Amino acid sequence: MTKTREVLGCRGLKMYQRGRLCIKIAGRDAGRKCIIIDVIDKHHVMIDGETRRRKCNVKHLEPLDTMLKVTKNAPRTEVVRLFKTLNIDLKQTKPKKKTERPKKLRKKKAKPVKQPVKKTTKKEEEKIKKQIRETQAKPLSEKPKKEGVLIKKKERQKKRQT
Amino acid sequence: MPRPKYRSRSLRRLQKKLPGGKTKQVYIRRKPEIHKCAECGAELKGIPRLSAIKAKNTAKTKKRPERPYGGFLCAKCAREKLKKEARL
Repeated sequence: MTKTREVLGCRGLKMYQRGRLCIKIAGRDAGRKCIIIDVIDKHHVMIDGETRRRKCNVKHLEPLDTMLKVTKNAPRTEVVRLFKTLNIDLKQTKPKKKTERPKKLRKKKAKPVKQPVKKTTKKEEEKIKKQIRETQAKPLSEKPKKEGVLIKKKERQKKRQT
Repeated sequence: MPRPKYRSRSLRRLQKKLPGGKTKQVYIRRKPEIHKCAECGAELKGIPRLSAIKAKNTAKTKKRPERPYGGFLCAKCAREKLKKEARL
């Protein structure tokens, strides 16, 4: 029985037709009754009933004996009426009004007064840096140098002269 | 001989290798086993391995799947059971 279902698919079998009452066997709404209101393709149908109105794979449905007369893509009100004949009361929710998201009000802090900062150009910055260097830099003769370095320097000077 | 606090068998002993080359013994608390299906014995999914105290502080929906027989039967077995109930 299960082999033919897989081979023929949805349209081959006469089980999964519009109006067939089924029980859903998989998912969070498993164990609930639903009715097929539209056949989409080989493996999928559109269901409605105790479950939400949604697309469902045929493998997740277990068909029952009863067949009901339904129009294609029947609205929720009609499905509710049909289920009443089977003594099943369905939930009917009213459409919710769209409410605006409450905006977060933040306490406004007093902004600190900004004093206008003088923007220095590149030339001015270089001048300032030069001044700092001149004041901070030590004269070369005062720096203690290693003997080896002095010897190397003298050799280099000799080389340049020759 | 470890001190009395560490002799409990609900603590697992691990040999850890330190960068210097020495080995050190580390005690780790054991977690409960993975829950299994009541019918077929397969490992159940969607159930975290929490100790009793941690499980008490987590929400109910985070401890089992949102499905009939969730946390008790695997998805396959639950499907078979619902089929049998429908065919009665």
